[in-house]
Amino acid sequence: MMKLSDITKVYGKGSLEVPVLHGIDLTIEDGEFVAIMGPSGSGKSTLMNIIGFLDYPSSGTYELNGEQIASAKESILARLRNEHVGFVFQQFFMFPRDNAIKNVASPLVYSGVSKRERTARAKDLLEKVGLGDRMKHLPNQLSGGQKQRVAIARALVNNPTILLADEPTGALDSKTSEQIMKLFTQLNEEGKTVIIVTHEEEIAAYAKRIITIKDGLITEDRRVTS
Amino acid sequence: MNIWESFKIALSSIWNHKIRSILTMLGIIIGVAAVIIIVAIGQGTKKQMTDELFATDKNAIQIYYEYIPPEGEEGMFWEEPELTSEDIQTLSEVPGVKAVLATNQGWGMMVHDEEQGEMQITGVGPEFFSARDIKVVEGRALYAADNDGLNRVLLIDTIAREKFFKETENPIGEIIDLNDNPYKIVGVYESPLPEQFRNMESGEMIMPRSVISMMFGNREIEQLSVIASDPESISETGRLAAETLTAEKGLENGKYSTNDFEDYERELNTMISLLTLLIGSIAGISLLVGGIGVMNIMLVSVTERTREIGLRKAIGATRRKILLQFLIESITLTSLGGMIGIGLAVIGSIIVSKFSPITATISPLIVLIGVSFSAFIGIIFGLLPANKASKLSPIDALRYE
Repeated sequence: MMKLSDITKVYGKGSLEVPVLHGIDLTIEDGEFVAIMGPSGSGKSTLMNIIGFLDYPSSGTYELNGEQIASAKESILARLRNEHVGFVFQQFFMFPRDNAIKNVASPLVYSGVSKRERTARAKDLLEKVGLGDRMKHLPNQLSGGQKQRVAIARALVNNPTILLADEPTGALDSKTSEQIMKLFTQLNEEGKTVIIVTHEEEIAAYAKRIITIKDGLITEDRRVTS
Repeated sequence: MNIWESFKIALSSIWNHKIRSILTMLGIIIGVAAVIIIVAIGQGTKKQMTDELFATDKNAIQIYYEYIPPEGEEGMFWEEPELTSEDIQTLSEVPGVKAVLATNQGWGMMVHDEEQGEMQITGVGPEFFSARDIKVVEGRALYAADNDGLNRVLLIDTIAREKFFKETENPIGEIIDLNDNPYKIVGVYESPLPEQFRNMESGEMIMPRSVISMMFGNREIEQLSVIASDPESISETGRLAAETLTAEKGLENGKYSTNDFEDYERELNTMISLLTLLIGSIAGISLLVGGIGVMNIMLVSVTERTREIGLRKAIGATRRKILLQFLIESITLTSLGGMIGIGLAVIGSIIVSKFSPITATISPLIVLIGVSFSAFIGIIFGLLPANKASKLSPIDALRYE
């Protein structure tokens, strides 16, 4: 469970200060499927980065499973990024010279897992996301949808509790988007907390809870009953 | 993630940018190779000069006469006192003296059959053979009786034997013509001189010094040196011998002295060392420039790989691990350059040794210093870029275009 209380974020200093988040209160339980929506510049990506320990809040508290982490050290945040969350980005972000297996296994290098186990886990996950026949391919030999599957496998490789996706379908066509969203739905059903940032209604529709942000404030928090 | 993983990431990154890596390393390669070759040549020169100047005389020290003009006189014309067998006897009894070498010199035109050649002749006493470690390969050495009896006998060296006699011919007992006088060859000896000091054309010969004195009109003893039983105390023994001789001869306007080779040798060594240091430091500047090149490339690499750094941070790399990755990359780059430089230096010194009279000697110490210094350059010049990389915020790095 994660609990954000009165989170603010200000970029810049002095007269150049740009406030992005104005006091966010948000609680997300384990196993939820949340979509964070809002127009561009609303602060939804910043919120996701704070949830995923990629960025620091300027003020407020962040509790993860009852533990305060808002003022944690850089090395602890790195560990949390490594073990508790998995990221999926719009632009995929791959190591261009490493094949699919190595890309998927890359987070494990930083958690001290042996090479043999890294490869084994990466292969399992590539099978799971349906890329069993593309394991030795380099990123530039894969389509956008395939790259995003590799990215999802990489996000899953350290068995995190939370999956964070920032516009994961932003660079994909609608058919591929649908496949990717089905994969997220399946992962949520298997017990992962999934948080997706999007500005597309169709993508948000896959979630069970839709949070809308405008000008750095939550304007709507709605649970979808299917 | 351990050091080995960082090392592998560094190696693959170097491999992925082959040309850039080689160009970056070039500065280090040239610097290390230049420093090592120059130091090797310097040491080789030092060793060779020391060997040449002192090796044949390692435990021998020359005693020479020095004229001290009386007050008010110019001292332009003076005569050296005559040395006799008694003086040699006295010198040989000085404590620490193993042997006394008394020689004189002559030149002569040797003619035998069709061959002729100008030869240097050393006039010696019987003690010369053991004291100078002369190897007589054919015939016999000179005896005391040869000197006392003014026997017109001589020994030729192996070079002269090759010039004047056929392999199958026996030169012993042959009468040869020297400056139009007949002499008998009694032996052939191996020249003890270093190769570059020998008369390679027609060789050299040895004969009793009394005979040279008689036939050439020289003084019987022109050069005098003593051999010390303990090479360590050569200077003291020489000084003592010179003082004894001065006292023995009761000299008023002159004295016998020795050259202190140790001072000379020390001075020469200091000079060569200074010269090596000077040229070496100029080569060292190229190492410094190479190091700056490495820093430059690493900074470019950090900028170019900002997104990669952001991604590594997003998947859990700590600041320390990023720092380590870039530091190891620059250390690997410079150490690799250092090792290639050492390889080149080894090849270079082999070439120098082959085509010049200097034997360049690469000491293991300088190799060790070369490798550690290039690794040190990697640390120093890698620190700034690595620190810059590690400080990037993950989200800014990922957004970098």
